[in-house]
Amino acid sequence: MSFLERVDTSIRRSPVWRSIFRNPYPNDERSRAYAVMNNVFLHLHPVRVRQHAVRFAYTFCLGGLSFFLFLVLTVTGVYLMFFYVPSATQAYTNILDLQTRVAFGLLTRNIHRWGAHLMVFFVFLHMMRVFYHGAYKPPREFNWVVGVVLLFLTIMLSFTGYLLPWDQIAYWAITIGSNMAGYAPLFNVPGKVLLLGGLEVGQNTLLRFYVLHIMVFPLVAALFMAVHFWRIRKDGGISGPL
Amino acid sequence: MTDTKKPDETRVVAPVDPTRRTEIDKQRVPMSARPYRLLALVKQDAVVRVQKEPDDTVMTWPHLLSIEFLAAGVMSVFLLLMGLFINAPLEELANGNVTPAVAKAPWYFLGLQELLAYFHPSVAGVLVPGFVLVGAALIPYVDRRNAATRPSERKTAVVLFSLFCILGLTLTFIGIFFRGPGYSFVIPYLPFFQNSTNGLHFAL
Repeated sequence: MSFLERVDTSIRRSPVWRSIFRNPYPNDERSRAYAVMNNVFLHLHPVRVRQHAVRFAYTFCLGGLSFFLFLVLTVTGVYLMFFYVPSATQAYTNILDLQTRVAFGLLTRNIHRWGAHLMVFFVFLHMMRVFYHGAYKPPREFNWVVGVVLLFLTIMLSFTGYLLPWDQIAYWAITIGSNMAGYAPLFNVPGKVLLLGGLEVGQNTLLRFYVLHIMVFPLVAALFMAVHFWRIRKDGGISGPL
Repeated sequence: MTDTKKPDETRVVAPVDPTRRTEIDKQRVPMSARPYRLLALVKQDAVVRVQKEPDDTVMTWPHLLSIEFLAAGVMSVFLLLMGLFINAPLEELANGNVTPAVAKAPWYFLGLQELLAYFHPSVAGVLVPGFVLVGAALIPYVDRRNAATRPSERKTAVVLFSLFCILGLTLTFIGIFFRGPGYSFVIPYLPFFQNSTNGLHFAL
């Protein structure tokens, strides 16, 4: 036994290690079942899944990657929050500072931006995949509805985040986007005032979009995701092969 | 004879036409006459080798999780490379008094903005998105009668949905690539067209 192997073995046998990882490395069926069942992150999955569900070409991992992008966006978003004030006078300067003076600031902002666009795109693709597999058929009808809500939340997350850099792209994209919503019958002026906190995009809008972007929509989306994933399990895993 | 216990709903025995009596039916006599019941007739070898039901499942670890971890890893590398080599756009400070030459909504709304060029805003901005969202949510309740999942057995649904997606994608594409200053129709990069522009009027 080499030195490294001996160190490895003694670490794995130590009481600290065994208090953290209750099971040895999963090698047989029983320990593999425990590995999934006893792990808080992995127990999202059942211990066994149907064979067709494992094929990459069946799902293309689209739903899973949407969720993964949500996690990436949460982590990068929290980092960005340390350097950002939702104020019409400060926000733009914060972004400039973030890009030039904050460690990994530019990279984090880039990843957050591209990840956000990618997430909207992947949720669209996931929806198309589910449709073409007829995976919304009973008993999964309501999970499709939850999915549509999640698509809406994803778009709203992206849309509210779009304003935060407070540059010309952001300002005019949100102006156009909210103008479209402002044509709702009866609800046009109150709707716009509610969304923008005024008749045009300004400080109130920035604060509203910020709170919606970093708190309200992520929490609501997380809630709907929990329901979405839970129902997949309750409906017997993902839909059958074609 | 095996003591297989069947689920309740399959144990209801319908009266059998005498001409169609099977071996099991001939053996079926009132309980009072015999102290045991015939549950099933099985072939000789099946008694000794009870066959397991065909199992089409695999262990989640490693079969599913390894694929998931790999996909997540590839996505991470892709995002890292994107983040390293392509910078997120940032223009001048927001100014409500200076309208930019091209003002476009985020790309996923450009289909709607394109509709705005043809229809009244209450149609393009309210009716269509409302119809799309509510309609999408209602799909499973409309498409109820056909239980098939294979595309060849549900052509109407597949064709309608595909047409709808192609329509949306086309509008979005026009909005992204073929709309320039003042939201006029332009053709990017091709100088021999009269309304050509040298570059895209689009920011992600």
